[in-house]
Amino acid sequence: MDNPLILAVDCNARNLELLAEFLHREGYEVYRANSIEQFVHAVENLAVNLALVDISGFDRNIWESCIQLRHKNIPFLVLSSKQTQLLQQESVVHGARGVLIKPLVIKNLLVMIEGLL
Amino acid sequence: MSKNRISTGISGLDEVLCGGLISGRSYLVRGGAGTGKTTLGLHFLAAGIANQESVLFITLGESVIQLHSTIETLGLDMQAINFLDLSPTSEFFAQIQTYDIFSPAEVEREPTTQKIIQEVENLKPQRIFIDAMTQFRYFSSDTFQFRKQVLSFLRFLLEQGATVLFTSEASNEAPDEDLQFMSDGVITLNFDGQRTIKVSKFRGSDFQVGNHSVKLTGSGMVVFPKLIPQISKREFVKESIPSGIPEIDELLHGGLERGTITIITGPSGVGKSTLGMQFMKEAAGRGERSIVYCFEESYKTILNRCEGVSIPAKAMIEHGKLSLVQIEPLHYTPDEFASLVRQEVEQQSATIVMIDSISGYRLSVQKDNLIHNLHALSKYLQNMGVAVLLINEMETITGDFRPTDIGISYIADNIIFLRYLEIEGELRRAIGVLKKRMSDFEKTLREFEVSRYGIKVGKPLTLLRGILKGVPEWTTR
Repeated sequence: MDNPLILAVDCNARNLELLAEFLHREGYEVYRANSIEQFVHAVENLAVNLALVDISGFDRNIWESCIQLRHKNIPFLVLSSKQTQLLQQESVVHGARGVLIKPLVIKNLLVMIEGLL
Repeated sequence: MSKNRISTGISGLDEVLCGGLISGRSYLVRGGAGTGKTTLGLHFLAAGIANQESVLFITLGESVIQLHSTIETLGLDMQAINFLDLSPTSEFFAQIQTYDIFSPAEVEREPTTQKIIQEVENLKPQRIFIDAMTQFRYFSSDTFQFRKQVLSFLRFLLEQGATVLFTSEASNEAPDEDLQFMSDGVITLNFDGQRTIKVSKFRGSDFQVGNHSVKLTGSGMVVFPKLIPQISKREFVKESIPSGIPEIDELLHGGLERGTITIITGPSGVGKSTLGMQFMKEAAGRGERSIVYCFEESYKTILNRCEGVSIPAKAMIEHGKLSLVQIEPLHYTPDEFASLVRQEVEQQSATIVMIDSISGYRLSVQKDNLIHNLHALSKYLQNMGVAVLLINEMETITGDFRPTDIGISYIADNIIFLRYLEIEGELRRAIGVLKKRMSDFEKTLREFEVSRYGIKVGKPLTLLRGILKGVPEWTTR
């Protein structure tokens, strides 16, 4: 596979910038989405191989877009600043392959990405 | 200053460090908020600038703009200091700069390290001040990483030929013991009612132990090293200094010797200070310089009183033979006062020093040990060949006799006492000698008077008994 495309979703601009920089350094193509509209646009129009969705700051509509990822068989990880049972359940229900708690440990993130691609 | 020693920019601290810092090493400056860590660092850089050295200030807390005012008060040229400002900007507060996706250790460490390496390699500074190293803790994922990073960072800076001073912001939650182990020297600043500085580690050098007084003034930090009498010595002739009043000199079998400590003790208003001044008047006649530290009375009061008892204090001052220094006790620490006395003795060659009075000095000592400080100061003066006069006020006017109220008699080589006597309903005064280490002395008391013609001392009071009780009786009449 040539440079897999990863969709990075985050409403915090600095978070998105740092995540994209890191993924670029690791040799991935990155599409940045900082709104649900951009998220939906990417899912519908791009050949996304993996999505990293930071749900912090989004409302419940974010889960609708996650369902679209599942329908298109695009694996995705949910990123959150806190770990709760409800979040765990919602993530699994909407098709997430896992939940990562921020701040992310770079080594773990890389292992997860490689495992899912 | 020896070859590999460099000045901290604070002469008192250089003295505590036995000649300054050893170059090419790293030193930790620790202390709470407001203790003067940054000020000390600025002095260190200023000393480098004065030597035409290249200096670098790496700030991780205060911005350069904030530092500006501190630097201005020290009278430093901002242009001469190279700054590497790694403090957070106000933009960081805005949404665009805040992040939580990765830890600061993952995000900030590399760019920060790159900036430092670039700056150090460009400037090749001989002195670097880092304020505060503890900020690097947030760039490390754990304590092991922090230790490793700081060690390698310091090694990098030292390999570039710099002498490094770095601060720590220690607290109970984040102690800085690890940084103390990593540095070649540890200087601790403290502010607990009194400002102090203490050196607890200095690889390859001796240093003066203990807490030394510190003052933060408009022009920066001043350190007053604790007085160590043993390290100061001056050659002098152990001769007697006469008072100029034959009867007093007879009492003392010649006078008071140079390099001795004399306590002049007695109740209020009996003439203790005047007696001390009499020795100084005689010394001035020989061309010697004396100094009086007045803790209680004002300069003017002393001058007027002297003039009223035929001691020409004004003329003595004008001729440089006397210095009256009024001391506000609560403004001075014992170390600071000792430093003042040292200056006078070492630079102005004073031969008689009078402290008027011990109770005033006691106020400046406050929580510290009076006996310890007075002992150190007196012994220092003794080693320098100075005749020390300590004025001690007794609270009781008459009654059972005690030489002093505060147990300091052991310091004295000589004790001269003045007493009020009630003789046939009249209040009179007597002088006597209680102790004299260097020679014999007259064991009888003599009547003592102070008038506008000066001090007048009578014949020995051999016909009175019960003098020390203050109500003597004639043995024969």
